[in-house]
Amino acid sequence: MRLLFVGGLYAYRALFNWAGPAMFIGTLLVGPIFQLLFFAYLGRQLGIADDGFYIVGNAVLAASSLCLFGGSMAVLNERRFGTLGHVLLSPRSRAITWIGRGLPYAGNGILVAAFTLTVGTLLLGLKIPAGAWPGLVLSLTSAALACAAFGLVLGAFALRFRDAWLINNTAVTLMILFSGTTVPREHLPHWMTVVGDAIPVTHAAAAARGLVGGRSLAEVLPDLGRELLIALAYAVLAGVLLKVFEAESRRTASLDVL
Amino acid sequence: MSTLRLIAVGVLMHVKMSTRGNFEIATAMIVPIVQATMAVYLLRAADSPHRMIEAAVGAGMMGVWSTVLFGSGGAIQRLRWMGTLEMLIIAPRNPAVTVLPITIATGLTGTYTMIATLGWGWAIYGIRPEFAHPWLFALALPACILGLGMFGLLMASTFVVMRNANALCNTLEYPIWLLSGMLVPITVLPGWTGPLADILPTTWGARGVHEAVSGGAVLPAVAWCLGISLVCFVLGAVSMSFVERRARAAATLALS
Repeated sequence: MRLLFVGGLYAYRALFNWAGPAMFIGTLLVGPIFQLLFFAYLGRQLGIADDGFYIVGNAVLAASSLCLFGGSMAVLNERRFGTLGHVLLSPRSRAITWIGRGLPYAGNGILVAAFTLTVGTLLLGLKIPAGAWPGLVLSLTSAALACAAFGLVLGAFALRFRDAWLINNTAVTLMILFSGTTVPREHLPHWMTVVGDAIPVTHAAAAARGLVGGRSLAEVLPDLGRELLIALAYAVLAGVLLKVFEAESRRTASLDVL
Repeated sequence: MSTLRLIAVGVLMHVKMSTRGNFEIATAMIVPIVQATMAVYLLRAADSPHRMIEAAVGAGMMGVWSTVLFGSGGAIQRLRWMGTLEMLIIAPRNPAVTVLPITIATGLTGTYTMIATLGWGWAIYGIRPEFAHPWLFALALPACILGLGMFGLLMASTFVVMRNANALCNTLEYPIWLLSGMLVPITVLPGWTGPLADILPTTWGARGVHEAVSGGAVLPAVAWCLGISLVCFVLGAVSMSFVERRARAAATLALS
């Protein structure tokens, strides 16, 4: 437990050291608000969906981008700072070490998503039923966990490829399209919805929209369950990939190659 | 003459460097195409097929801005990590002139995003690139890219003084897309954003391009774009000199 939580927290403080208060507010709190406003005004102009669709969808996305980049940075920045070798020399469980590194970003993502949702509702005048908030917190949490696990999968590629940032950037952009958070899924081609079903955010966003639309927590539980299953699947995949790529990096002596 | 040579050689160097970075290539190649796809499906959902070409052009301009913003921020960060930012700044030239080639180079590579977006729209979705004023489009597009580049230069002064300039880019992407009316018309935004939008060269650049596509008064928008771009260049030069002195005094240039 100490390795999971304390180790994860220390790694977070060390690797996320660039985010001072001003940078944190500017990048992680203000940035998602502008993204939300952009899509909300685009939606208003085109008349595709109401503000609620974009506010809730982009709040879930706010959690996703941060967690995805964070989970990935948990591996990438170790390499950049030259400490990856030390981490991999540790005789402790790899799974706990890496999961611990993803957790603080998931917590951070929940905070950012809750802030985005609150500010979005205040700015654009969306009324959320009071009873929906516990379910919304669960939705944001499941999305954050799934994205942190997905971020670790992408981070695993950092052990194999030198410039893994391009994968992250492309993944986030594709996620905005496939998850149906900006374009309603009924207007996307079938193959995009199939891909969307297998990535984080899609089911959490559906659950959150259902709750804001008046559905009960029990009614959206299947969506939340699917999101958590996706989180578990990506966590397992991350574990396997990290193990495989670690062995490959040791074999080719490419662990610290920048 | 030597200043022009400095700019030309600098542009060539930075274009070469940016075409060897996977991150820049992915940002320039893949992301605008995904954004264009998103815009197409949004307009299809809204049953506005007549606006498809405007969506493709708008998505292209969004891509150009992303390329300029992330390209400039990323280039300065990369120079810092490689330890060459200090050498660039101590060169016996105005720092604005040494940084200008970076923004020009990112603007030039950004033109690809417009071409790729229009090509993608044509090849996959059958959106024919038919413009009301094709010749004026050829004039408005470089003016728009110049406007984006000059605004990027103004931003670059903050990139020099900040240790994590690339993180700031995430914050600046959507506000400029929104305020400049690249995809969302400014008319749907709250009234108080109007004056803010009016002082941005990107707004007039985007307006010029949209007018060339849909048929409107292109030249006044292009003139405003060029005028404000000039102001941005002067402000960027003054700002760059200021932050250069500040970065030297605080000894933060080499900090990564």
